[in-house]
This record gives sequence, C-alpha cells and structure tokens, in this order.
Amino acid sequence: MANDPLVRLEGVTKRFGETTALDNLTLDIAQGEFVTFLGPSGCGKSTTLRILGGFEQPTAGRVLLRGEDVTRRPPEKRNVNMVFQDYALFPHMTVKQNIAFGLELKGMGKAEIARRQDEIMSFLELTAYGDRYPAQLSGGQRQRVALARALAPDPALLLLDEPLGALDAKLRGQVQQELKSIQRRTNKTFFFVTHDQEEALTMSDRIVVMNKGRVEQDGTPEELYFHPASRFVAEFIGETNLLTGELRGTEGDAVVMDWFGTTLRGHAPGGVPRAGAPITASVRLERLGFHAERPATANAVQGRVTGKTFLGSRMALDLTVEEAQGARLRAYVDADTGQSVGDAPVWIGWDQSSMAVLRD
Amino acid sequence: MTRHNRILLSCFYWGFVAYVFVPLILMVTMGFKDSKFIGFPIKSWTLDWYASVFADSETISAFGYSVAIAVLSTLISVVVGTWIAVLLEGRKFWGRAAIFGMTVLPALIPGIISAIAFRIYARYLGIEPGMGAIVWSHAVHNVPFVVLVVMARLSTLPKSQIEAARDLGADPLIAFLRITFPYLVPAIMGASIFCLLLSFDDFVRSFFLGGYEPTLPVLIFAKLKSGMSPEINAIATVALILTAVIGVWAERFTRRMNKDS
Repeated sequence: MANDPLVRLEGVTKRFGETTALDNLTLDIAQGEFVTFLGPSGCGKSTTLRILGGFEQPTAGRVLLRGEDVTRRPPEKRNVNMVFQDYALFPHMTVKQNIAFGLELKGMGKAEIARRQDEIMSFLELTAYGDRYPAQLSGGQRQRVALARALAPDPALLLLDEPLGALDAKLRGQVQQELKSIQRRTNKTFFFVTHDQEEALTMSDRIVVMNKGRVEQDGTPEELYFHPASRFVAEFIGETNLLTGELRGTEGDAVVMDWFGTTLRGHAPGGVPRAGAPITASVRLERLGFHAERPATANAVQGRVTGKTFLGSRMALDLTVEEAQGARLRAYVDADTGQSVGDAPVWIGWDQSSMAVLRD
Repeated sequence: MTRHNRILLSCFYWGFVAYVFVPLILMVTMGFKDSKFIGFPIKSWTLDWYASVFADSETISAFGYSVAIAVLSTLISVVVGTWIAVLLEGRKFWGRAAIFGMTVLPALIPGIISAIAFRIYARYLGIEPGMGAIVWSHAVHNVPFVVLVVMARLSTLPKSQIEAARDLGADPLIAFLRITFPYLVPAIMGASIFCLLLSFDDFVRSFFLGGYEPTLPVLIFAKLKSGMSPEINAIATVALILTAVIGVWAERFTRRMNKDS
C-alpha cells in the first residue's frame, strides 16, 4: 500500500528471562530516512536492530515492512540486509565472491550478477580489490566490502550495527561522510545503531535516543541537541549546563522557573513537569552570550569568570553566578571574546528557546 | 646457580631425546644388518631385507588391507564426528551433556576392554570377524577425536558469519554448506589424518575382530612370534617413515589453513 511507512514497529517488546530489553516500542520509519538508534549499551538499540533483521523474535508486538507483517519471518526471507559490527565477511571468499553471495541466493543469472558486482564495486571504489581476500584488505576497505555486500541485493532497508567502531578516529570521520553520501545517492533507508552521539549527530536525518528499553526522544539532530526532552538526552548528547530549580508556572509558551532566587524562562520540549517539585533545565554551552550591559534576552544574570581554557578554535569559560548562590556555569565563546573578558562581573544572557526544561 | 640449572636442564632434555630416539635408531639400523640375528656388532650392511619386504606379497597385502581399513573407518568417523560436533556446539538442550559424555567415552576405555566388548557384541549381532568388524570398531574409537577437534574449531566461528549468510538469503542448510563447512575443513583434515594414523597403528581391536587376513600390525606380531628377524625392522622402518611424513605434512597443512582464515 502506498501510504504505509517502510517500517512500522507496533508495541514491540522483547524480554530475555527477567530483563526487558525492549519495552513496547512503537515507531514508523519512512522510505529514504537515515535513522539512528542511539543509546548506551543495554538500551535496546541492538535488540531493535536484530528484530528488524529477523535474528530475534519479539516477545510481543508486530513488525511491518511495507505494510506486510514480517514478525515471524526468518532473516533469509526478508528484504533487509545488515552490515555487521565485525563486518562478518566470509574469509574463504574473495571480495567479488562475498558480493555475489546474496545475489546468487536471490537466483540471479551469471551475467546479471557480474553486472551488479561491477556496478556496486565501482560505486564503492572497490574495483581494484575484486580478487582479494578479506584478510588482504585494510579496515576501511573491509568496511566498504561489507557495505557493498549488503547493498548488492538491493534491500528495502539497510541495517548498520555500529560499523565504524573498529575504525580509528581519523578514518571514522571520513567514513561517516561517505556513509551519509552513499545513503543520499542510493536513497536507501538506513537504520544505524551506535552509542557514539557525535556519529549520530553527523549522519542522521533522525535520531531515536533509547534508554532502558524505551524511547527517550525521537527527533532531528538539531531538535535533540538544542531541545532535549529529558535529562538523559541532555547529558548523553553533547555538553550542557544543568540548572536545578523549582517550577513556578507557565506564561504562554514559556515555562517559568526559580533558580536560587533568579527567575528564568525556558521551554519544555518534553512536556511541562509537575509544579512544586525540583526541576532541571539544560542550556548548551555555546548558547550563553556575554554582554557589558544587561541584555534584552529572556534570561540575564551577572557572573564572574573563574577559569579559562583555550581550546583552539574556541575558549571555555567557567563562571560563578553570585546572585544564584554561587551556582556555576560553563560557556563556549570564540577566542577573541574569551580574551576580552576580564575579572569584572559580566552579564550573561540566553533566550527562552535556548533553555530546555527537562522531563526528569 | 642458574648456570648449574641450565646444565641440569639440558642434561634432562638430551636424556629425554635419547630415550625417545635411541630405540628408533637401533630399530632402523638393524634393518640394514646383513645377518639373521639382531644385535651388535654389525659386520656388513645390506638392503636385502627391504627387497624381501617389497617382494613379500603377504606384507604388501597386509599393508593394503590396513590402508583400506584406515580410509574407510576414517570416512565414517569424520562424517559421524562432524555431525555430532555441529549438533552439540553452541547449543543448549536437554541431554546435551549425556550425549557429549557418551561420544567421548570410547576414547577413554582401555583398548583391550573395548576390543573384547566389540568381539562379544559382534558375535551377538552375528557380524563375522573381518574387515567390516574392524572398520566398525576403529570408527567408533576415532569418533571422539573428530568431535573434539571439530568442536574446538566450531567454537571459534563467529556467530555473525552464519547470521550474515542467513541475512543474505541462505537457509540454515546452505549457510552450513557454504560457510560453516569451509571453515571446518582444516579441522576435518587434521582429524582425518589423526584417525588414519590411529587406525593404521591399531593392534588390539584389529587382532580381536580380525578374520584370517591380518592387518600390518597383526602380521608383524605374527612374524615376531616366529622369531625376530631384521625383516621386521625393515617393515617397521617403512611404516615409521610413512606415518611420520604424513603426520608432519598434516600438521603443517592444518597450521597453514588455520592461519589463512
């Protein structure tokens, strides 16, 4: 059916004995999306991937692929392919044979297999390595072979299980760009699993942050970074200032909180918490602005710089806010601003939309 | 002190080497003695004993018989052993420990006891003594070695290999034939060579279950009873060289295959 999403998970739950790996997950994935499941180990991201691949059966719930129920279907009968964490290249087969494996099992003719092999190898710049064995390739090349092998049978959905973990830091950055561009050019749906938040931010159209088998937040990288819904998301992605205070109420869109006697205004992407209870708000380090006079921003406090760290392209400032009982903040500024700030108290300002009041 | 230790250690080492090799060297040397009596001094040398070994149809046919038994019993134990290993490895099911125990037991039972047990059981089943009975007993005895070697190899096969094959459209059988089996080949080769040598070397089972036709070890035993002669040394030397060459080659071969994958 035309209006069905590519993938639909309906109340998918997975229990291993006493532990619940995945708790009632409901989610749609659209054709052509680069979706990343992000979270610490044991959060349920890998279980989701294995359920999509057919390697695990959910305890409850359904998996729909283009509207068709595939929950109980074995991996070989799904139009879904996977790039494994260790690549799982077949050591006794050459690059070409590895790529042909899935095509042969699809019942393709020899001529068609050869054509598809050439196409995918030139696409991934592997043409020169066709007759080599996996043991004769570098880490980056193996990773591309794994990708080529999984893409060759033209799957509806490509699963990627932390495929960059084995690469060194420099190569990883390069491969991230490559992966993203491959995904754009093929217009394939990528389901990527990682615990590396930077990787997730760089590549994804959409990130689903998982924690303890549940979805913490589901949104674009920008939404998750600047508008985290929960403390877990705010802390897991990037660096942030966490401000603890009490909820005063709402004024239109604004959520008003008391921060050690200072009134602050933020927004609540994860819903407004209960009144009276202690709450936490998150402000990203680069969202704090420095001013000589009291700024017109929704929030403004006076602070004193207690430490500076030079980081090359920018500078980190440690601040103490006396009017908030000496609460500490940390800010990123460009090097020039950092140098011009002296010992005298400065005004620090930030917008209502820069401060996210967190769910828990 | 360390110097003393080193000298002591090297004495032990060379003592051990002498203990292993001197009897072999003596045996080989006596095969070239130009006299009917084994013992020093050796006054003249000859190749006559070797000539008579290769001319002796009894020895040649016993050798062929032993090889045929070794090949057949190895084929059976490799098929059965691999099958049991694949069934047992990495799986949990009720009775797994019991099956594993029963599989390995034949390797631990003393040869003489299992030979007698086979003899009684063969008579009970109405199996005539002879090649079939010998092959059967050798196969049973060798299965545990195949199971252990293949299981060890199988346990190092990453689970993702099979999952990748399934993911690319292979059903469990195709995944086994195209991924698991090629991975096991070095282990199966190694186990096969080991089984061949075990079977070729076996005396007790072949003696108890044999018919009128002797295997090579049984023939040597029969010849020994009628008196020691350098001819026996010649036969033993040929067998020694053959098994040593096969053993060393197999060891190198499996090591190379293991390194490749």
